[in-house]
Amino acid sequence: MLEGLNSAAAGMAAQQQRLDAVSNDLANANTTGYKRVRVGFRDLVYTQTGRSSAEGPRTGAGSAAVDAGRAFAQGVLQRTDQPFDVAIQGEGFLRVKLPDGRQALTRDGSLRPDGSGKLVTSTGAVVQPPVTFPEGADGSNVSIGPDGTVLSSGRQIGRIEVVSVRSPQKLQPAGDNAFVVTPESGNTRPAPAATTLAQGALEASNVDMADAMVSMIESQRAFQLTSKAIQTQDQMWEIANGVKR
Amino acid sequence: MDRGLYIAASGMLSEQIRQDQIANDLANAATPGYKSDRTAQREFGDLLLANRATGQVVGSQSTAVQVDTIETDFTPKPSRETGEPLDFAITGEGFFGVRTGQGVRYTRNGQFTVSPQGLLVTASGDPVLGRGGRTVRVGDDGRVDPRALEVVALENPRKEGDNLVTGTPAGAAGTGQVRAGALEVSGSDAARSMVDMIASLRAFEAGQRVIHTIDETLGKASTQVGSVTG
Repeated sequence: MLEGLNSAAAGMAAQQQRLDAVSNDLANANTTGYKRVRVGFRDLVYTQTGRSSAEGPRTGAGSAAVDAGRAFAQGVLQRTDQPFDVAIQGEGFLRVKLPDGRQALTRDGSLRPDGSGKLVTSTGAVVQPPVTFPEGADGSNVSIGPDGTVLSSGRQIGRIEVVSVRSPQKLQPAGDNAFVVTPESGNTRPAPAATTLAQGALEASNVDMADAMVSMIESQRAFQLTSKAIQTQDQMWEIANGVKR
Repeated sequence: MDRGLYIAASGMLSEQIRQDQIANDLANAATPGYKSDRTAQREFGDLLLANRATGQVVGSQSTAVQVDTIETDFTPKPSRETGEPLDFAITGEGFFGVRTGQGVRYTRNGQFTVSPQGLLVTASGDPVLGRGGRTVRVGDDGRVDPRALEVVALENPRKEGDNLVTGTPAGAAGTGQVRAGALEVSGSDAARSMVDMIASLRAFEAGQRVIHTIDETLGKASTQVGSVTG
């Protein structure tokens, strides 16, 4: 009786999931290289109600949120004039080794040489393959070319590789702005030739505040409406109980 | 026993089904390409009443009410710009084809993604069909030409859940254009659902009142008829 209670509850849970995703986006509106979460919805199974004949009326069981991965649209480039900052223009990721030893991908190009001269990200992940600066190198004589070639005082000391995967939506977020390759995303391969690096710039988050706010309002209203359905079903239950006084 | 009791109870039962359908519509208020439902009721069957002594016909009376069908409104809804390269909307009639484990199914929810093999797939991982029923390859730039997607008209479309629809394909005649970077909005209309919900709640309540009234009549019949002081 009153399956609608469950359908409505499922709908509320789905909206809650989108609200969580939107809050995460809003919290990362200023995170370098952040990619917004893409949430979808689907309706659930339809089952026979009332009569048991094959073509009887069928009601649905509500909705569920679908994780459609991230939206990898290009973020705006912001000039920082820091010589170690790089921004990726086009599809692709920097390959890094996380402090816990895992290989990961990131679009956060706020790089610095660490104590031993190795190029690392702001969270301490080492760029792969490692690029090591000679002792005493400061930013003034470092040049990073569009193809990733790193020159220090005019001498090539390494190359920052940009890689991509077949299905970036299926990458698994590993926190700290990094993603880990999964079987569904496919293995890394060299990024398309159109992808270039820009020195002295960072890629801003691709979260659109206006869009995020609209999604938030939409979710909140849908949540509210669905809760009304629960209230009404509750009222019906009360009326049904009142049949026998 | 009094037929009215059963008629009122059957009315309450069908209002319950209607409420379930409204709750499902509301739960899918943000599902792209969702199509809303409408519950239609009909009489269960008429009974011809006749005077037992004279045989004179009194008239016909309905014995109950039941939910006949839940009709889905498949009219196209407007699409909303999302800017995602793998979001597609059909402006006009028609459905995208999807190859699932159970056979070919159809959908109007064009929120697609790319598989590890580089094919265009739905969020559940089923390949989307292109022209001639072939799968669609996503280009190296992560885009798909919207004209590469097949759009078919369906006869007797029926919702199956997971954004999928079954039906008999009826060619591409009269189908609309595919647009990339947009999704069709949900067909669920919050205002209409709220109004239906209130109307249905009151009808349910009225059914309960009828049962009460008949109960009172029966109570009187069983306690007061034949009573000398009555």
